[in-house]
Amino acid sequence: MNAIADKYAGQNIGSIFLYTHEAHPGENVPHLTSMEQKFRHARDLRDILGVTRPILVDALDGACHRAYGSMPNMTWIFARSGLIVYKSDWTDAHSAENAIQYFSQIPARRRAGERLAPFHVERLDYRNQERERFYKHLERNGQKAVDEFREAFPKG
Amino acid sequence: MEDILSRYNYDSFVPEKFEPWINFEASPKTGTIAPDFPLWHLDQTPARLGEIWSQHDYTIVEFGSFT
Repeated sequence: MNAIADKYAGQNIGSIFLYTHEAHPGENVPHLTSMEQKFRHARDLRDILGVTRPILVDALDGACHRAYGSMPNMTWIFARSGLIVYKSDWTDAHSAENAIQYFSQIPARRRAGERLAPFHVERLDYRNQERERFYKHLERNGQKAVDEFREAFPKG
Repeated sequence: MEDILSRYNYDSFVPEKFEPWINFEASPKTGTIAPDFPLWHLDQTPARLGEIWSQHDYTIVEFGSFT
């Protein structure tokens, strides 16, 4: 997602990371109990995991995250007016780039005189599960996070 | 308030604690105006989601955390 942000920044496309709550808390990265801790974890996301996009932090009660459905790693795209043009219950760089390639052409098409009217599309996209990478990430959180995920999703 | 803070920031990834928050089906629809919320930059200065999306033709927002 960092690469997509860089690739489209010159086409008037913004990109941020919105920090929510700890989906898989563990011994090393525990659940949140204060905003100070939340800011610290968000800085770790930048400094350790290498998120280069601007990181914005939600309230401790997750008011924004909850209003948008509370999925642990979802992606939304908004037009300048605040219009919701894309929502995905999971973050997948291929899906997000496919969408932003399409939307990034809309302003130029309008300037060229096309009369564009919105319509709704439903589509089922596919992502690579990357299980090995995911479990390595859980291990970084702590063994508790690994054990709880295995318990919740034995076939995962 | 204390109750929602501790329930939202659950201490264990067990279904009875994380499933109540999963509510994508009821989230705002495409084609509608997104709800605006206060947010904070990493330096703790206040911001709003609406300020963020109004700066570009389109804005990609990834929700997530370290874990």
